[in-house]
Order: sequence, then C-alpha cells, then structure tokens
Amino acid sequence: MSAQQERIIANVVVPLDFTYNYRVGPYVERYIKSLGQKKIMGVKCPGDDAVVVPPRKYCGRCNAIMDEWVEVGPEGTVENYTVGHVRLNKGLVEKADTEYVLALIKLDGASTLLPAEVKGIAPMDVENGLRVKAVFKDPAEDSLNDLSYFVPAG
Amino acid sequence: MSGSIGMPRERMLFELVKGLYDQLGITRHDIGTFVLNSNDFEVGHTIANVFEDTPVGAYMKDETHVDSEGLWATTYAAMRIMSGNYETALVVGNSSGASTMRPYLMMDYQLDPTIDRQAGLLNELSTAALQARAFLDKYGLDEDVLNQIAARNLRNAAMNPNAVQFKADATAGDVLESEYLYEPLRKLQCYPFSDGACAMVLASGDRAKELTDKPVWIKGMGNSVETYYIGERDLGSSRSAKMAAERAYKMAGISDPAKQLDVAEVAAKFAHQEPILAEALGLFEEGSAARVATDGLADIGGSMPICPSGGGLGAYVFTATAWCGSRNASAS
Repeated sequence: MSAQQERIIANVVVPLDFTYNYRVGPYVERYIKSLGQKKIMGVKCPGDDAVVVPPRKYCGRCNAIMDEWVEVGPEGTVENYTVGHVRLNKGLVEKADTEYVLALIKLDGASTLLPAEVKGIAPMDVENGLRVKAVFKDPAEDSLNDLSYFVPAG
Repeated sequence: MSGSIGMPRERMLFELVKGLYDQLGITRHDIGTFVLNSNDFEVGHTIANVFEDTPVGAYMKDETHVDSEGLWATTYAAMRIMSGNYETALVVGNSSGASTMRPYLMMDYQLDPTIDRQAGLLNELSTAALQARAFLDKYGLDEDVLNQIAARNLRNAAMNPNAVQFKADATAGDVLESEYLYEPLRKLQCYPFSDGACAMVLASGDRAKELTDKPVWIKGMGNSVETYYIGERDLGSSRSAKMAAERAYKMAGISDPAKQLDVAEVAAKFAHQEPILAEALGLFEEGSAARVATDGLADIGGSMPICPSGGGLGAYVFTATAWCGSRNASAS
C-alpha cells in the first residue's frame, strides 16, 4: 500500500514562543557554586555507598535520600570515549571544524562517570585509562560551564 | 505496515487500518478497545492521538493512548484483553518524524534539562557511539564486527518492500566507506529517517480463531526499565532487556531460548545494539558477536536469524519499530 508522493508540503511553523523555567534545585545549585570555587562535589548514598556526580537527591537503586556531600576529583580516569566528527545543531548534523573527544570520566572518589570533553591531546592519542584533570573557568560565571573540560594530568 | 515519506499522517493511518479491517472482514465496530501509540513531541501537539482517532475508526469508542513505546502499547492492549473486559483490541502506532521534524531532536528533548541538556555533550549519536565503544571494549572486539552486522541488515532490508535504507549486496567494506559520525559509529550503522505505521488486531483466544485460520499467539511478555543516567550504566550490555526477556520466557515456558526459538527481531536502531540485545535475550553467548558475524549465524538460514526484515537499519519508525519487528518475525 503506497500513495503518490504528496506534492504540497505545508511548513507549519508552531506559533508558540515560550521558555521552560526549570528550577535546578538545591543540589545542582550547590554543585554549580562549588565549580566556581574549583571544586567538584558529589553526594554519597547511605544505602550502597555510591558517590554520585553530578549530585542528585535520590538513589534509584536504594530509593533513599543521598545527603552526605563529598568532594571528588579534580583528577580522574577516562573510562570510555568517542571522537566526534560531527556536531548536532538543533537536530541537524554538521561537520565539526576539528575532531574532538567526548569522554566518560571516573573522577577520583566518584562511583559514576561524568561526560566531558577532553582537550590538550590529539584525539588519536586518547585511550581508556588516560589520567585527566579538570580545567575550571576563571573568573567563574556561575554556570555548569565553570567546569570547562579536562586535559591530560601531570 | 505502511510507509511513505510525505503522506499525511491521517491518510497513512486510514489506509493502513481500513486495509487491515478489510483483510479480516470486520469493521471498526468489531473492535472492543483502541490503543493508539505515537509521541506528542514528534507529532507537535499534546494528546497526539486526538487526530488519529478519526482515521483509525475510534470515533466515540473506548480508546486510550501510549506515548512513545510501541511494544508497550501492545502489552497494554494484551492486558486489556486478559482483563476479560474486551474481546478485541486494535493497536496502531505511527510516526511521521522523518518528514515533519528532525528526528535527532527526540533525544535532545529526552535529556535531563538541568544538566545534560545544558552541557550539550550528549545527543542521539554521541550516546550511541559511547554505547558502541563500551560494547567493543567489553569483549575486545574490532569495529569490523559492527560493519558486518550493518551490512547483513542492509542486505536483509533489500528483501523487505517496506525498507527505506537497503543494499542488496552490501559488504562490511561499504559500511566502512561511510563516514564516521562519532567513532566507532559510521553513517551506515545508523537507522534511516522513516515515516511509517504498524497496526495489529489482538483478540482473545476464541475470538482470534473466528477471525483467522492462522492466529499468532502471544505466549509471554516482560518489561524492565534501566536507569536514565549514562554514567551509571554498563553500556556494553542491557540488564533491562535481559530481565524483561527472563520474565517473558518464564511466562512462555522457554528455558533455552537459543534452542527453542527459530528467529528474532530486535529493536536496534544502531548496528551495535543488535548483538547487545541478542546476547541479553540469550540467543547467543555474551561476547560472541565476532564469531556470529564470521560464521553467519545470524544470517537468514543461520542458526538464529536476527532481524531478517533488515531491522532498524532498514527502517526505523519511531514508536513502532519493535513492534513492526514482531510483525515481521511472525511473518518469517
């Protein structure tokens, strides 16, 4: 069952203009404030001792409130990574100007992996196990971007 | 199944469902409950089913809607029948995402808005690439395995009239020549943007025998959900699929799926997801993807054909892929 290709396509532009005013909550707020002081904070679950970064209030596995704050990093280890050849811009694939590394990093003292860019090293030289350290924005701009990216440690 | 880019959603649904009624020799009044399946974000308005009710014949009928997950819509419909309140259910899922919006936006808007969406690092392709890398690393596999899997799906898709991406003589070399998006993910390891829909009539046992001489029986169902957080998952395997399969197998009385099953369709929209799922379902041993590819075990005619339809690489209808797969498997 197939019909002829439609000849007329109406490009309906959604006549709406709005912003979602999400509240980040005290956990993400404290996380961002800490980044401004060049510190990465996580929270520890009382149920399974997992240290979760970025911090959030609830542990899914234990259905418990995580309320013990723990400083982690600023160094860590690359556990997984991909070299990006494209960037996605509002759903469109665009060729990246240069190849770049997106890694999942296990910060020292954390149980979870943090997605972040790794710079200061040729993408082809990145491998799992690479030691990296966080680079913070200075002066801080009071946003998630205060943890800018990671570079090889040492 | 029906698919044609550029066809209005309502006509696609009307032709598909009316065709199904005609094939069964029934009318919309023979349907006890309607379970519609689409996605508000993709359709572009809330209560996406509101304009789908009319073309599928749900006007003034008992109707409900499942967002996003098509196989869950089928499970839901089956449970409605098992409740004893209905003899028949129409399940219909659709997506016109390919022609009406940008499909990769779906993932952008699934992301946690306060962290992941702000950071701008995770998206449909980068998360898939990290999953692919985790799978290869877990078992020390070469990227060629992914190219082999993609090539087989493209060859299978060439025999499927509903496929939108296919190549009759596809080789791993063809996939290797397609460009990297995020390593190790190459373009031909990815699903094609597709419009389409799938409809099924579910019925109680007695009613099913009245409707057709060859009913397809649902023997088992299972469900499980993994955590959202990518940094807390073992990306190289699927615990949730394994648990869901165990629940379904238990219900169906299957103790050795690799022996007892003849064929499988899995909802893999990227090449690497196929072995992750096939291994979670117990169809092949964990870490056997290279041998499966080399020996052609998952080929049509192999010991366990996987996605003879071409799977998600042949066509990926958001909401309805798993379930187009179940239809394809029952037709195999």
